[in-house]
Amino acid sequence: MSSLRLGAKIAAAALLTTTLGAARAADMTFERALNADKEPQNWLLHHKNFQGHRYSQLKDINADTVKNLRLVQMMALGGLASGGRYENGNLEATPIVDDGMMYVPNGWGEVYALDLTSGRKVVTKWKMDPGIDRAWAGDVACCGVNNRGVALWKDKVISISLDGRMFAINRATGEVVWERKIAEPAVGETITAAPLILRDLAITGSAGGEFGIRGWIDATDLNTGKQVWRTYTIPGKGEPGNETWKDGKDRWQHGGASIWVTATYDAQADTFYQGIGNAGPDYDPEYRPGDNKWAASVLAMTPTDGKIKWGFQYTPNDPYDFDEISEHPIIDVNVGGATRKLVTHAARNGFYYSLDAVNGSFVGGRAYVDKLTWSKGLDPKTGKPLEYDPSLDVQPYVVNSHATRANPKGALKCPMTSGGKNWEPAAYNPELNTMYVPSAEGCNMLEGKQQADFVDQGGTAKPRDRFTGGSANYPTNEPIYGGLAALDPVTGETKAKIKLTYPNWSGVLATAGGLVFTGHMDGEITAYDAKTLKEMWSFNVGCGIMAPPITYAINGKQYLAVLSGPHWLRPKPEALKDQAACSMLNVFTL
Amino acid sequence: MGVAFVRGPLRAILTAGVFVSAFSGMAAAQTASSAEDARAIEFGKEIYKTKARCQFCHKWDGSGDQGYGGNALSLRVTQLTPDQVATTVKCGRPATEMPYHDKFAYTDKRCYGMTAADAGDSKPQIGNEFLQAREIDAVVAYLFARVVGKGPATYEDCLDFWGKDTQQCEPMKK
Repeated sequence: MSSLRLGAKIAAAALLTTTLGAARAADMTFERALNADKEPQNWLLHHKNFQGHRYSQLKDINADTVKNLRLVQMMALGGLASGGRYENGNLEATPIVDDGMMYVPNGWGEVYALDLTSGRKVVTKWKMDPGIDRAWAGDVACCGVNNRGVALWKDKVISISLDGRMFAINRATGEVVWERKIAEPAVGETITAAPLILRDLAITGSAGGEFGIRGWIDATDLNTGKQVWRTYTIPGKGEPGNETWKDGKDRWQHGGASIWVTATYDAQADTFYQGIGNAGPDYDPEYRPGDNKWAASVLAMTPTDGKIKWGFQYTPNDPYDFDEISEHPIIDVNVGGATRKLVTHAARNGFYYSLDAVNGSFVGGRAYVDKLTWSKGLDPKTGKPLEYDPSLDVQPYVVNSHATRANPKGALKCPMTSGGKNWEPAAYNPELNTMYVPSAEGCNMLEGKQQADFVDQGGTAKPRDRFTGGSANYPTNEPIYGGLAALDPVTGETKAKIKLTYPNWSGVLATAGGLVFTGHMDGEITAYDAKTLKEMWSFNVGCGIMAPPITYAINGKQYLAVLSGPHWLRPKPEALKDQAACSMLNVFTL
Repeated sequence: MGVAFVRGPLRAILTAGVFVSAFSGMAAAQTASSAEDARAIEFGKEIYKTKARCQFCHKWDGSGDQGYGGNALSLRVTQLTPDQVATTVKCGRPATEMPYHDKFAYTDKRCYGMTAADAGDSKPQIGNEFLQAREIDAVVAYLFARVVGKGPATYEDCLDFWGKDTQQCEPMKK
């Protein structure tokens, strides 16, 4: 290349940089992330703030004005291709919005940068397709083809793909700057959670709890694209907690405890709180005698080194597939006259919990679902199920509420295997000191099957085989519906609760406008009064909503946005039997 | 299920049942059937794979599975006849997780002589998608040409199902 041509190229590059720099929103810094609530016009973090509140200070859309909310923008997001066991990708993502630009992935990890500033036409600035081997990744996704969101870091968008890769994407152009292979589908590992970015680290973890993985949480240095640490969610030989796997055959090596929802973070203590998935095999607890730490738990961890500060296990020796991967909102509240920092969780097992953020001790909790039959309640001191007996290797809980080898067909138990509350996030309104918990209400039964050992442990179960020790069954006539509850965030006491026609797979947004929003499987997006949960407004977008709503403002005007798209659903409600798949972004304003 | 439900390619496969069972996989499809029958088998494979998502529960090779699709039985070793498999696809299997795929099943007595009221709690769930008779014929034609009674699936079977543009079959490569 001649020096003249090289010079011209450099000049052009400099001009391009200047132009893009001028047009670009401010780089995403840790400082901005820590103060995300001071930018109410943006939705900068997966759960809105590090504490996981999903609460917006915007209030132009409020109880008086919400009736005027109307659909103003739509955009197709694709991702409907089949792959592996699935007919299409889902839309479960929480979009990120910064300065009028939205960054959002579809189920196959195709990331879109959308310019929303016109308030009318959505302009696709770029799209990044990670080029997944869909059959390979989709065959080891337990529950659909999912990607729950991206994150911002400096001038990059950080995304993940189902086949276990992380990408740093130039935010201005959509070009992949680096990618890192983190999870290995060859052993059943996938990634679906939006990355949590703390300083220059991206924290994520492996899904695959139904495929005999040993779960882990992993940090990537975003400057280099290299691993900084990896902490297994099941402690190894000699580590505290490994003794809770009492089979004597090292079955902890395939014990599940996966990760598939973004953690919350407390800056004061520099600690993040990660929910951990079910033990594997799901329905054959006799295969894995012991409490099986840290499956079905929350772990408090240090971001710099991945060290575990404390853990709290919700369902020891979990025989129900009660993943507790979902968010753990952090709240500062008055308890008995003193201000305390609590880590809270509406668990898949049907109980709501509040824990001391410093040491994980149980503060309060109770059932939030209409019907909970596998346990009679929580021990007020320990927070463990009342039936829990630490001297037993296999926990019966309420007799016949799960499968055993002697009696493989368990009776009807509630909540369903999927919860309670699954991944769909709750929201917390600090002004009203109220936690809004979406739920699925109903019961199902488990059918056990003695699990074969893995091939590397002398058995016949191969990597990528389903490793569940039975199945979750759904009697046809058992009523299944949804709920939205407003809870006291310390005790879990119900302040208000409404029934929803369908189990909730959308999650909740709370706003300073005195409203809470959620979507529904039939395509309805609804606003409720924050105190009474009375319906204030609703609109149907024409296909199912299984993604969390968000709100933001552009040029001073408040918008509400939600994705609508297909979801892996089982059982499928009869009323929705002819519902078609779609893949859309829907934006509303006054 | 009435014989009227069995038409076209499936009828051809049934007629040639002994002949088909003497051959395996693609060879049978290529030699025992007309071009129309071969198309039906490929059509049935796509329905098994994507539209009806039979593979979600029965696994891609039909060897059965567990987990979120019930304890699905192996179709490779099933003793069911093509007629019985077609009935099961159409009507589901009461009191199990096998769903029905005839949209109007249990609205009258076409399935096992039962309405929804007769079936009560044992009424199967609805399938991922509903199938017309032609599609059910094709799925059954596919199963009896490539899956039922064929022994453990091979690397070649895997390539036939997933194609060559994926790593899916690498673990089976000798």
